[in-house]
Amino acid sequence: MKQIEGVMYQTNAPKGIDPDSIFFVQVDATKCQACGNCEEACATGAIQSINDDGIRQVVDPAACMNCGQCLINCPYDAIYEGVSYVDEVFEKLKDPNTVVVSMPAPAVRYGLGECFGAATGTYVGGKMHAALRQLGFDYIWDNEFTADVTIMEEGTELIQRVGEQGKKGARPLPQFTSCCPGWVKFAETFYPDLMPNLSSCKSPIGMLGPLAKTYGAHETETPAKNIYTVSIMPCIAKKYEGLRPELADSGFRDIDATINTRELAYMIKAAGINFNSLPSQAPDPILGDSTGAATIFGNSGGVMEAALRLAYEVLSGKKLSDPTIKVVRTHEGINAADVDVPGFGTVKVAVASGLDNAAKLCDEVRAGKSPYHFIEVMTCPGGCVNGGGQPLDPDVRASLFKSTVAQINKRFRARTVSA
Amino acid sequence: MKMNRRGFIKACGVMTGYAVLGLNLTKEAVAASMDFVGLRQKSVYDADANPKIYKLRKSQDNPMIKKIYDPKDGFLHEGPCGHMSHHLLHTHYNDRSARVAALKANGFKLKF
Ligand code: SF4
Ligand code: SF4
Repeated sequence: MKQIEGVMYQTNAPKGIDPDSIFFVQVDATKCQACGNCEEACATGAIQSINDDGIRQVVDPAACMNCGQCLINCPYDAIYEGVSYVDEVFEKLKDPNTVVVSMPAPAVRYGLGECFGAATGTYVGGKMHAALRQLGFDYIWDNEFTADVTIMEEGTELIQRVGEQGKKGARPLPQFTSCCPGWVKFAETFYPDLMPNLSSCKSPIGMLGPLAKTYGAHETETPAKNIYTVSIMPCIAKKYEGLRPELADSGFRDIDATINTRELAYMIKAAGINFNSLPSQAPDPILGDSTGAATIFGNSGGVMEAALRLAYEVLSGKKLSDPTIKVVRTHEGINAADVDVPGFGTVKVAVASGLDNAAKLCDEVRAGKSPYHFIEVMTCPGGCVNGGGQPLDPDVRASLFKSTVAQINKRFRARTVSA
Repeated sequence: MKMNRRGFIKACGVMTGYAVLGLNLTKEAVAASMDFVGLRQKSVYDADANPKIYKLRKSQDNPMIKKIYDPKDGFLHEGPCGHMSHHLLHTHYNDRSARVAALKANGFKLKF
């Protein structure tokens, strides 16, 4: 085990293992204080008491969506990660025959700075690119580029589905987003009858892996077999996604390694890079450049807003003068909106933040009562910025406790008074 | 106030006496951590609206998107959802319900 930014990690890089059998998060029974925070944070009930002392465990990986919400909400540092590629990535960076490609997700650049003392949420995208260069990545490609690709593919799919309705063999509506691996596994596990509603689009990282080893290899004249792709995510469930056997469409494994924001911070520190003094650098073009529509994928409601910025223009044939579509922005819960598109009509959309909320919308779809065309689901409340692989909220361990003590004292006082 | 481990454990003992209170507190703690998430969310929207960080705000305007989908010689020249897209960028899903059904049959309670 290795400690990384306040979280323990098992240091292994699984190869050819069925990801369904891996515990991506698990509780260290010797550290668990039986407070139950993890159980409260878990949408599925995968983590529960295993004895009379209230010690928690993830009971079976089949019930766990690998989201890590339990981990980031444990005040006792009792939950560890089961999979880490950090050692292997360091080896590949040293190997002169391997061309190592970086693929950071949007939300990483809003969390990474916190590990170096910056205020919560500080944008450090330019420094992140510079740090990846210093670490020795050969191509600084960016998963935000394929967030833009995802909008093109998924927006087009939605427009196709809407057009097909009433025809034979039409794909059903609503269309669900498919970028979030916790949600995709949740749908496959608890609502398999709704799989036809899931967009067939891979997630942005599922797209960048194969593009790096085909298009990217071609454009840079690199033999695809020498390319090693590193997915850098705010997420633990992305480690599961990277191991999905079907993600091998480039002719190789599309994604070779997946690390999260905490592990990237650890690598930067281990390499002795002075992060705060780095200049702001751009990614390498071809598979690096992106837009604001891509960066908002980090928030709940972001994929929806980005897709609407495309759908509006395609369906109406008009330019969207102000790309800001605030109604779909979602902090918590379920957010539904009607978006009027000239020359088309009303597009009905909903955004679910958290799997318990997603389940409510799924039940509606199952009952044939869903009014929506398009539904976005993010497993982590608030979106990827709150992912299970992001730096920990220092207050979960400090002020959570403060408020607990305050409340208990209050109850004590109330009792004393009434007694 | 920073608490050390012992303090935590002690308070936990206090909490056990108030088990009913415990669950409510947990809910509140999870809710409080959403303030933190709000700060990160705000930063994301600020970057999107800041032309010094993102010159363009729509995916279809990204020059590298125009290049890859160029109808003449783009790598994805058939456009979104074309043949090459379907090969590389789209996928299929697997029914994973059997294993949780077995868990439930063995007496495990899940929320769904
Ligand atoms: S949050 Fe941590 S200490 Fe509390 S029950 Fe879960 S694993 Fe145990
Ligand atoms: S990772 Fe997510 S699904 Fe798995 S036990 Fe933790 S909170 Fe539950």
